[in-house]
Amino acid sequence: MFEIGRLCVKIAGRDARKKAIIIDVIDNNYVLIDGETRRRKCNINHIEPLNKVLKLKKNLSHKDVVELFKKELDIEIPDKKSRPKSDRPRKIRKTKLKKEEPQPEKPEEKPELKQPELKKELKKEKKETKKPAKANQKTIKEKKIKKAKKKN
Amino acid sequence: MPEGRLKSRTFRRIKKKLPGGKTVLHYKKRQPSRAKCGKCGSILKGVEIAQPKKIQKMTKTKKRPERPFGGVLCSKCLREKTKKEARV
Ligand SMILES: [Zn+2]
Repeated sequence: MFEIGRLCVKIAGRDARKKAIIIDVIDNNYVLIDGETRRRKCNINHIEPLNKVLKLKKNLSHKDVVELFKKELDIEIPDKKSRPKSDRPRKIRKTKLKKEEPQPEKPEEKPELKQPELKKELKKEKKETKKPAKANQKTIKEKKIKKAKKKN
Repeated sequence: MPEGRLKSRTFRRIKKKLPGGKTVLHYKKRQPSRAKCGKCGSILKGVEIAQPKKIQKMTKTKKRPERPFGGVLCSKCLREKTKKEARV
């Protein structure tokens, strides 16, 4: 029943009611189909065979299948991949536009190399500020110890 | 006493516990009935049940299965239909 070249209709799923050809028999339960449907592995229970069998070579590509459908069955399969993505119009929000304008300018002014340098400078400054404080504490401690020694 | 329109059982009653310990009655609209197959009348799967206002906000794929006659016929009836058409 399910041999290579058999025309069938898909019963289940989003490709239901679309015609396809069996290109390859994978298993007892599975076949490879192509045509109006997507090219895919398919369970036998999800197809209904029709009474037409076409002669095919082995390992047909999708392009050959499209031509076959045009010649033998008068069914045109639209090419979905030819449409470029940029053709689709997209809504742009006004609020987003305002925010996006200043953003691209900022990174140009501040290249990435500068940031770590800035951080280093900041760290140095911090260290410098910290060191004298520690030194002061040490001196204070020493003074205290000296005072204590003197009293003794 | 509640308002007159709330005294009938058109609204669902929900007991809510407040943080202070009191219990209060809240009134909510009842859920609409489930979608059914146009041919055999069985309950349709993959069709969301909610108030129409909430369904408006849902995506298209959430409202019905993505197949011809999705949300109208059940999958079994679709199979029978396509088989009948194919055999002619
Ligand atoms: Zn049904």
